[in-house]
Amino acid sequence: MSDYKIILYLCNWAPHTAYHNLQDNGYQIPPEIKMVRVSCTGRITKALLLKAFEMGADGVALVGCGPGTCRYGTGTLNAVNNTEDTERILELAGIGGRRLRFATFLPDDTEPLRRFLAEFTADIKTMGKSPVVPMGKVPAETTEDPTSLADILKKHDAYACQDCGKCTSACPLALSGKPYSPRALVGAIAAAPPLSEAVIRDVWACLTCGLCHERCPSDVDFPEFIRDVRSWIHARQGDENQAHGGFFQSLMRTMTSPEISPGRWKDRPADLIADPEGKTLFFGGCAPYFDIFFRNHAGLDTSRTLFDAVRLLNFFDVHPRLLETERCCGHDLLWSGDRQNFLKLARLNTEMMNDLGIETLITACPECYRTLSLDYPRHGVKPAFTVMHLYEFLEREIDKGAVTFAPLEHRITYQDACRLNRLSGVGALPRKLIHRLMPTRFTEMKDSGAASICCGNCAWTGCDAYSKAFQVRRIRQAAATGSDLMVTSCPKCQIHLRCAMEDPFLGRELMMETADLTSVIARTIRWE
Amino acid sequence: MARKDIKRQEVIVTGFGGQGIVLAGRILGMAAALGDHRESTLVQSYGPESRGGACCAQVIISDAVIQYPYIEAPDILICMSQSAYEKYRTALKPSGRLLTDKDLVAPGGDRPEVFSIPATRMAEELGRKMMANIIMMGFATAVTGVVSLDAMKTAVTASVPKGTEEMNLAAFVKGFDYGASTLKGREKKKSGTAGRIGAVR
Repeated sequence: MSDYKIILYLCNWAPHTAYHNLQDNGYQIPPEIKMVRVSCTGRITKALLLKAFEMGADGVALVGCGPGTCRYGTGTLNAVNNTEDTERILELAGIGGRRLRFATFLPDDTEPLRRFLAEFTADIKTMGKSPVVPMGKVPAETTEDPTSLADILKKHDAYACQDCGKCTSACPLALSGKPYSPRALVGAIAAAPPLSEAVIRDVWACLTCGLCHERCPSDVDFPEFIRDVRSWIHARQGDENQAHGGFFQSLMRTMTSPEISPGRWKDRPADLIADPEGKTLFFGGCAPYFDIFFRNHAGLDTSRTLFDAVRLLNFFDVHPRLLETERCCGHDLLWSGDRQNFLKLARLNTEMMNDLGIETLITACPECYRTLSLDYPRHGVKPAFTVMHLYEFLEREIDKGAVTFAPLEHRITYQDACRLNRLSGVGALPRKLIHRLMPTRFTEMKDSGAASICCGNCAWTGCDAYSKAFQVRRIRQAAATGSDLMVTSCPKCQIHLRCAMEDPFLGRELMMETADLTSVIARTIRWE
Repeated sequence: MARKDIKRQEVIVTGFGGQGIVLAGRILGMAAALGDHRESTLVQSYGPESRGGACCAQVIISDAVIQYPYIEAPDILICMSQSAYEKYRTALKPSGRLLTDKDLVAPGGDRPEVFSIPATRMAEELGRKMMANIIMMGFATAVTGVVSLDAMKTAVTASVPKGTEEMNLAAFVKGFDYGASTLKGREKKKSGTAGRIGAVR
């Protein structure tokens, strides 16, 4: 019995007839192939394609109807796009893009279908087993979480809640009209385990932006509390509240396999100078994956931030090491409750970088920064290197002087990243850098600094009409400053706010140019 | 006339009285003699002109014994006021280097090789205007290399009032960093890569 697993998503219409004919004619379908009949290949999302690999598939074939014959009109086209994107992501993540294949057949194409199945099976066997270690269900008792909700309440001193309501009156979700209240949630968790469905729903709805903690007179650290509760729930009943079908959670979990060897930087521009032996590492983060996944969003190019960050390091004669094998830092796993896999990633990353003798790690991503510098040590994973945000490096170097900025022909405003601002306490730093720039004008939004509103989602959870509503509110705040460029500092702020800008009902009203602060600096910096 | 093979540099530090010009000169000389184990002399102008007028410290640093401590034409001229610049600018050797406080001195257009640092402004930002001279010494150390960094740090620490060592050292490093950064910027400009990133869209 072969231990290879190939998932065949087979469209119920044309190719299924061909498949049936094959079987009727006595053809033995290769035993490696597990067929899943689907109503249309266009319904198989990128998340489902990747999920198969996460669960241990060595190859996945998506087989649909010939172009122009799809019963649903655009099914084949969707399937082509989804396969293309997922292939590129599989390649980038080191799983192998060729493990995913798309093909189309009509009912009479029995022989071509037979050849396709045989060739694909042979190809997969040539490639060998998938490097992804399949994830099993994690039993609760093996996690390192606090064992009971009472422990979590105690750990975060949530009983100190005075029920004053300051959190709710600040919560952007509550203010966008969602029947949601941080204090009520604490109360419900304290009062009545087992948790009701409504409570669980609210636990996943929270954006962990930290504004409630900022306002709480009892200093209840709401984001950390929610994170622990999520972890507790996740270990017991999993999590079905993930955005984008759980694609990114799947991607991160596949990265916990030690065997995968990503090709993370192979498409980098030729002008970047890196030192393959260097002790200073630039940690890029997941922006390239995001750009592929969201490529249909006009103009999204968060990878540019990473390239500009390396250019800025080069500008100051730092030639950082770039790790082809770089994995995700695990931020989203940790914040969406999957602590066990977060720990796997954290250990893999830290061991690899410690072994390479990395002394300083520089990142331009607020989530990587917070996770690597704070959450790794707090979870017992001790990096032997210093973690630095690119802004710290830039401020230090620019402060030495002899550097100037070309005028920036824009009126700008700044969108805070909560991981950098409230959750790492370095909100002043990007502003210091902004004040060094020479824009036509810089105006803060109505809610800024400690009071700033987040981009509406966190860790790929909690996306709904309410978060969309306050994203719209945020963009309107930005527009109200009279600015024509919104400067951001997190790839996810770009993704989420630009998504809201594309609201078809509001048309062009919300459109505003956005750019990462790193790129804005790179665009204007000069030696004096 | 100094022999060609003997390394000898003549420095004039000049500015208003009260800017710590003489102290700056003394630190420079001390660093050269005590830290770098070379010869040095200091001549300071004292008198009515130092009360708000042009004040001057003449420092010679050499590998050989210095026979005569006065300077006719300095290799390095450090100016911290416009009047001092006007008074001494013609004395500077044609190949000499001019260092100025960016906000206080506006040199004429005939000198392309001017190194300037907003020392007084930087000192104000650090909380003490009187540290401008120390910032200038840091800048001079980086730009001219006439004394070593370690020797200067030791001399600064030994020369400033007790309890202010750390603050002065920080000011010194700030000036030094600015100097190193200036040199780097010039080098980049020469190689045509200053602002290279900006060209990338």
